[in-house]
Amino acid sequence: MAHFVEQIIYGLTVGSVYALIALGYTMVYGVMKLINFAHGELFTLGAFVGFFFLVTLDWGGVFGPALAIGLTIVMVSGSTALAGHLLERVAYRPLRHSDRLAAVVSALGASIFLQNVIMVVWGAQYRAYSASLLPQVIWRVAGQSFPLIRLFVFLTAILVMAGLYLFINHTRLGLAIRAAAIDQGAAKLMGVDVRKVIAVVFIIGPALGGLAGLLVGVYYGQINFNMGQLYGLKAFTAAVIGGIGNIPGAMVGGLLLGLLETLGDAYVSGAWKDAIAFVALILILVFRPTGILRERVAEKL
Amino acid sequence: MAAAPLLELKNLVVAYGGVEAIHGLSLSVAPGEIVTILGANGAGKSTTLMAISGLVRPKAGEIHFKGQRIDVLRSHEVVQLGVTQAPEGRRVFGPMTVEENLKLGAFTRRGQDLEPDLARVYELFPRLLERQKQMAGTLSGGEQQMLAIGRALMARPTLLLLDEPSLGLAPLLVKSIFATIKSINESGVTIILVEQNARAALKLANRGYVLDVGRLALEDRAERLLNNPQVRDAYLGAR
Ligand SMILES: Nc1ncnc2c1ncn2[C@@H]1O[C@H](COP(=O)(O)OP(=O)(O)OP(=O)(O)O)[C@@H](O)[C@H]1O
Ligand SMILES: [Mg+2]
Repeated sequence: MAHFVEQIIYGLTVGSVYALIALGYTMVYGVMKLINFAHGELFTLGAFVGFFFLVTLDWGGVFGPALAIGLTIVMVSGSTALAGHLLERVAYRPLRHSDRLAAVVSALGASIFLQNVIMVVWGAQYRAYSASLLPQVIWRVAGQSFPLIRLFVFLTAILVMAGLYLFINHTRLGLAIRAAAIDQGAAKLMGVDVRKVIAVVFIIGPALGGLAGLLVGVYYGQINFNMGQLYGLKAFTAAVIGGIGNIPGAMVGGLLLGLLETLGDAYVSGAWKDAIAFVALILILVFRPTGILRERVAEKL
Repeated sequence: MAAAPLLELKNLVVAYGGVEAIHGLSLSVAPGEIVTILGANGAGKSTTLMAISGLVRPKAGEIHFKGQRIDVLRSHEVVQLGVTQAPEGRRVFGPMTVEENLKLGAFTRRGQDLEPDLARVYELFPRLLERQKQMAGTLSGGEQQMLAIGRALMARPTLLLLDEPSLGLAPLLVKSIFATIKSINESGVTIILVEQNARAALKLANRGYVLDVGRLALEDRAERLLNNPQVRDAYLGAR
């Protein structure tokens, strides 16, 4: 147990990335009762847009690391937000009066399409982020090491999630999003423009997912056109753990899954790392399909 | 009815999928009235209210409010014009507090001071004031109904649609809810009241419409419907 604290921080870092992606699944599901199967690909897109600015255009060399990362975050979230918006317009909105199966098929189609576009544009091979973007600082405290990059990823994700939490709970639009997620019809009776709410969750969710892709690129240094499948599935698991549709649940679920995986990897067996997520998914679906925070949301009668 | 109608339905036809629920309904409501819509289960009362609110799109016919055609509008635009609804089954936002529910009722009144309206709702329903910070889902059925009505008032409606406000409430509470509806009307709000409790509704209302599987069966002044033998047999029970 020598590196326990270190492992916890690592688990929370991975988990915060899962949480960011999971928020996109959960926000869209909350309002539309639909799983956006193309969400994993928006995450991948974020990683590649980040690659474009940081590696192809070498913004790190041009602006210095801090400004480069700041600007890249804006470009990545902006472009995945735009892609998400287009996705909603093209793949979902025309089907809003059709049955659910049509929307699911459309979502799967959009997912395959996006993955192929990314592959055609950037190739099928792995791409590397420059390792020298952030200074390779590692702090050591009481025998535990804390790399700067890990703290950067963790804190960025946490800050963004805190911002989202405030937005959802303390703004008019956030109130509308929560209301539409609870009862779309009742929200309409209050004068909420639900079509606008749907458009907004298809902008915020993808922006968060794209940012997560950038963070993964910066953190692991390697990206690939189909990375969104595994991350998407894990983040979806995180959303289910927290109760799909439940925004704080997605945050908690992501962090929890990251911890489980990392501690399992460190103290049980590395071979089990990916399996843990899927075992967790199955167990939750069988025993607590409404998620671990069920009590807090099951109030509606 | 001398004054120009506030609300007018003209030959309204509403279908779910391929199945018609309303087959050409016409009715009108004058400013200041309480109009009740009666009818057995499945007669199409809720469907009519949902069509007015813009939640279901009519297949044919027209709905006019203050002379403007509203069946072509989206639901939030109908609310902005001053038509709100306390729907069947209350449909309060369970995981939100009482106060958040009320604020949602005023969603279209962006940036306006809501304090006077909150105060008015709490005055009408003092129980809600006690439960201000409580989750709506933990309220009793009667309290949820008060919340649903209070919430619908927060937009300062001209026309308030109430769908079975007495459903599932204890008799004493029904009395007090009906008294409140009366006082809301006296404050200048026109009301359409859908009810199973036909007797109480007719005592309160100026006029009534009786629906029979999606068609208008009767329409008259409320006191005449109360004494109508057909209505007595079908809706008022033997008494
Ligand atoms: N969402 C829906 N989809 C399909 N059919 C519906 C839907 N809502 C209502 N209906 C049908 O439309 C008809 C009218 O229903 P509506 O709910 O308007 O009746 P109601 O008069 O309000 O009845 P109740 O007194 O039971 O509330 C019924 O046959 C009902 O089954
Ligand atoms: Mg009904």
